[in-house]
Amino acid sequence: MSLKLELLTPELSLLIFALLVILLDLGIKQKKVLAGVSILGLLVSGGFVLTLWGRESASAFNGMFLVDPFALFFKLLFLIAAGLVILASQDYVSKFARFQGEYYALILISAIGMMLLATTGELISIYIALELSSISLYILTGFLKDPKSSEAGLKYLLLGAVASATLLYGMALVFGLTGKTRLTEIAQAIQTIPLTTLLDSPALLLGIILLACGFGFKIACVPFQMWVPDVYEGAPTPITAYLSVASKAAGFAVIARFFYTTFGVPDWLSLNWGILFASLSAITMTLGNVIAIAQTNIKRMLGYSSIAQAGYLMVGLAAVGVASMADTLGRSGLLFFLASYTLTNLGAFIAIIAISNKIDSDLIDDYTGMGSRAPLLALGLTLCLISLIGLPPTAGLIAKIYIFNAGVHYGLLWLVVIGVINSCISAYYYLGVVKVMWLGAPVSEEKVPSSWALRIVLALTCLGVLVLGIIPGKFVQIAETAVRIFTS
Amino acid sequence: MLTDYGYVGLFLIIAILFAVSMPLLPLTLSLLGLVPKKPNPIKTSTYECGVETIGKTWVQFNFRYYFYALLFVVFDILIVFLFPWATKLKQLGAGAFVAVLAFLLILMVGYIYAWMKRVLEWK
Repeated sequence: MSLKLELLTPELSLLIFALLVILLDLGIKQKKVLAGVSILGLLVSGGFVLTLWGRESASAFNGMFLVDPFALFFKLLFLIAAGLVILASQDYVSKFARFQGEYYALILISAIGMMLLATTGELISIYIALELSSISLYILTGFLKDPKSSEAGLKYLLLGAVASATLLYGMALVFGLTGKTRLTEIAQAIQTIPLTTLLDSPALLLGIILLACGFGFKIACVPFQMWVPDVYEGAPTPITAYLSVASKAAGFAVIARFFYTTFGVPDWLSLNWGILFASLSAITMTLGNVIAIAQTNIKRMLGYSSIAQAGYLMVGLAAVGVASMADTLGRSGLLFFLASYTLTNLGAFIAIIAISNKIDSDLIDDYTGMGSRAPLLALGLTLCLISLIGLPPTAGLIAKIYIFNAGVHYGLLWLVVIGVINSCISAYYYLGVVKVMWLGAPVSEEKVPSSWALRIVLALTCLGVLVLGIIPGKFVQIAETAVRIFTS
Repeated sequence: MLTDYGYVGLFLIIAILFAVSMPLLPLTLSLLGLVPKKPNPIKTSTYECGVETIGKTWVQFNFRYYFYALLFVVFDILIVFLFPWATKLKQLGAGAFVAVLAFLLILMVGYIYAWMKRVLEWK
């Protein structure tokens, strides 16, 4: 057996850099260097991902480790998210001067976990990758060590542990029924079972439901969203951003691969989980949007908004399920939406980090008149909020059209109607913030200064949002290539 | 299929009956006056035999034990992985050697980290 180490280079290089950050932290006084080393690690890892891109799909460790465009797309997404989060943390890290090295190292390690999650095709390694990314995030959530942050960390840990247990139970049932741990082999085993026997055995359906619960926690869909508002509010804001994009994207990556490869055939099975996700999606976006209206804290508001966004994303999952093996629109729509959502939400959070850090408050009321106090930050935030609603000329619009198109195409018109109504509801609270910022009278005339690191990152994300919104053709192509081949 | 579930159901009913009747039995007997109740200090003590307990059980341990326990678990598991590898060292060859070395290196970073952060000192 050859190891095929070159397939693992993105993860291995990132791991080496994460360990390097830990070691350097012990001897170095100037902590900015650590951020530089982390960014360098992400760049190197990203370089390796790009060299693997375009090659034929391959697998290592007997099919445990799959390198296909789908996995590579997500790896790149996580690397970008981690890089932006690290850059956005530059002002924030002064709050915990003592543990900066650990902070960067944990971000890198959780990125490795997410990359592994998108790339494994085997039950046990999926679980390990999930835990690797989650445990790092539990620690990062409680990093501020004030009562709120600690509470958030503990809540996330406890609920996350319950979710992991549910997931394991689901995996155990699926394994018990098929006797295999590799996803493709499970799929084959399911296909060999005669349909009538399968219909008679509730074990498989129970397994699917439990798996959906376990992964649903990761993507924060209703009814597994309880942890979101408190954790998002308590966690350090860059970590909130990280949680809301990278962790969620990892959840969607693993759900898409897992359910598509394992339960894609026979049709009725695929239809079953398609409908499951469709109904969860309808509930998720409605609840997320309606509760978000009542929020006064902007981090909580974005928390609920991210629940609602998970609802839109699940339209893609539902389309994948309902269309069974015929689907391409649903999956590529999901990927494009995730890319646009990552940039948009990160941009919004970066603007919030910049503003909150100076005015020391997360209340929406304190954002009054920000348009004149910090015009550029307010402009960036406005653009990102508009993209979250899905208005032109932003990425959000194209992403929503794409994913709703998939829904309509595969007969989920009712879901798309609910989605569009929800987008209108969401406009109310997103535009509320915009209104407060531009039309409200400023509380004070004092300008809100921001560091260069934050400005550059915000400019980058806003640029990304605009580029995806105005010339999406190339990126749609990438998303389509990424889903064309699932290694089997 | 249905009879299988029937058996399980039967076991369930028996189990519930058993679980309910066992605690109820001494209560019923004592209500009937069949059980004498004569407590004395030795009978009601925590352990009828063995060493007397001193103080409350809710004592605080030094938190350094926690770090030690944590490190212990990590390296304990390291040994669990090293043993099977070491016994089959020759058959497994160079690939396994490199893999174990990488594994060791990752844990060593943790060890160095703990060392430099003075977790190993007891002060």
